[in-house]
Amino acid sequence: MRFPIAVALVVLSAAEACAAPSASGRWQGIVQIPGLPLHATVDLEQDKSGAWIGSIIVPELAIKNVALTEITLRDGTLSFAIKGALAGPQEPPATFDARLEGTDAMSGTFTQAGNHAPFALRRTGAAQVDLPARSTPVAKEMEGKWVGQYELMGYPRQVTVTFANHGAGPATVEWVIVGKKVNNLPVDLVQRDGEFVRIESHEFGINFEGRLRGGELDGTYEQGPVELPLVLKREGGPR
Amino acid sequence: MNALLMLAIASTAAAAAPSNPTAPMFRGGPAHAGVQAGAAPREFHRVRWTFPTGGGIVSSPVLLDGVIYFGSNDNNVYAVAADSGRQLWAHATGGPVAATPAVARDLVYVGSYDGRFYALDARTGATRWKFRTGGERRFEGKGLDGLQPRTQTIADPFDLYLSSPVVANGTVYFGSGDGNVYALDAATGEARWKFATGDVVHASPAFADGIVYVGSWDSWFYAIDAATGKERWRFHGGEDALVHNQVGFQSSPAVVDGVVYTGCRDSNLYALDAKTGAEKWKVFHNGSWVITSPAVTGGKVYYATSDSALYNVVDATTGKSEVQEQGNAWMFSSPAVAGDVVLIGVSNGSLEARDRVSGKVLWEFQTDAAKQNPGWVLTAQRKFNNSLLFRVQWQDANTVAVERMFAVGSIFSSPLVANGAVYFGSTDGNLYAVE
Repeated sequence: MRFPIAVALVVLSAAEACAAPSASGRWQGIVQIPGLPLHATVDLEQDKSGAWIGSIIVPELAIKNVALTEITLRDGTLSFAIKGALAGPQEPPATFDARLEGTDAMSGTFTQAGNHAPFALRRTGAAQVDLPARSTPVAKEMEGKWVGQYELMGYPRQVTVTFANHGAGPATVEWVIVGKKVNNLPVDLVQRDGEFVRIESHEFGINFEGRLRGGELDGTYEQGPVELPLVLKREGGPR
Repeated sequence: MNALLMLAIASTAAAAAPSNPTAPMFRGGPAHAGVQAGAAPREFHRVRWTFPTGGGIVSSPVLLDGVIYFGSNDNNVYAVAADSGRQLWAHATGGPVAATPAVARDLVYVGSYDGRFYALDARTGATRWKFRTGGERRFEGKGLDGLQPRTQTIADPFDLYLSSPVVANGTVYFGSGDGNVYALDAATGEARWKFATGDVVHASPAFADGIVYVGSWDSWFYAIDAATGKERWRFHGGEDALVHNQVGFQSSPAVVDGVVYTGCRDSNLYALDAKTGAEKWKVFHNGSWVITSPAVTGGKVYYATSDSALYNVVDATTGKSEVQEQGNAWMFSSPAVAGDVVLIGVSNGSLEARDRVSGKVLWEFQTDAAKQNPGWVLTAQRKFNNSLLFRVQWQDANTVAVERMFAVGSIFSSPLVANGAVYFGSTDGNLYAVE
């Protein structure tokens, strides 16, 4: 009696496994673009809510800790997209559409910029999802408005940076540079790292990294090949 | 306006197709108007012949007495029969020949990346004389285009061409990577004068009314007395101290009816008074380089932009836009006006024939390499796949990307039209004759 039940259980779970193979894990293989084979490492796993998260590494294209989006797994068919990295803002993302084959293999079609190429990946281990850096809160002493100035190509520029914390969530930053005109820089990243804070505006290609010392943010303005010292002082003097 | 243009085109076409067509130097003649004597086909029929070389071709073919002369980045200068594509001779230099030869009085003049300027016998290819410049180099800048390391000088991979010579009044004039403009005795190669600018001169000088006109990568455009080498005037283009991207004259000027027309990397097309250098008008292209050398005829200026891939026709007197067509990819090739057709090469490996009035594409030729699209250099829409090409912003990444782009057979050569055929070079190494 017990034997048939055990067999039935094994058969059932095997059937279940066949019906819904897991996509979780580290997958590695090659995308066969003619003349440009790409070595891809894809990490996929489910977060606490059961939603799929993932990241991708492609060394030939300097892609690392780039997030995967639109991850779906249905009836052994897996698809996901690469967030941002291989498409312009107005273009559809690069996508992988795969069929899981057994427990440790998948193959399918990679699509980018309207071109299509086959790929095959094998599961090589546990997932090591590595997502892009995220914004963090800043030190409490950094909150508020900071002002400074620098000179670029003979013209003075006035800088105002305003940090605001929101509990444990990421800080928000208003970043204004006034030269010939007023530029409100969209901030993509604000990160605290000990005494350091870094803010990045990808659209403008401008970054600031400062260290909080003696009531000042003593730092560097970066734009293209230019690196200039920039000291931000609290508006209205030290607190 | 269009009726007048049609009339002008009709009279041009009637005068076209001479029995012995001649286009002995870059842009057809010393003033660089970019107008071809022959009428271009309005439909594509076939490839008449291809002539393979051992390197990419950015040089433009020139024609005299049924012989086509051009340079290749395989270091050779070639002479090829225009009717058959049969090689007549090849002359090896010590570096890529990225300039367009000029032919005058049985001599072929051209510079090479070996830093020497050659005068070759047009019949045999034998060296008559050579002149050593201060050496060639590409334009370069620290942190060029925002690449890292920011403090390291990086050579510009889009500085594709060498200066092409112009021959007038027994003198040959050309620019050099050493920053000088040279005037040499065309018969002997002896220096008559040299004019120093502040950076690389890879634009090709134009000659009109005793003046040599040329721009430099130092951001200045110069008018130089052809006899003495003294500066007549200079005009300042844009500067870009930050990433050195929006600076320098790579475009070669055309001089027509007392006006100098030139593109600039500061994304303007300029019209300057030929006597004074005063700006008459400019057309701004929002950060997109104007590398093409403008063609000017019938009161119109024909040119194109690089990144924004816009084909333009503007009024020569006012700069007012008359035609603007969106292309697929960067255009560096200088347009050639041939009857009622304008021909232009595209860096995605296409040659486009456009209607002179409407600007619409009449026909298109694609290299085999462009059709194969190795490494997905192109998108499915045949634009450059920039998201894949320019991922890395370090060291020589742009050079690597540009080399990959050339794999589709980019056409940087300016087309030559004669005998019912269109001749042009490609970075796939072929000189094509299509009809």
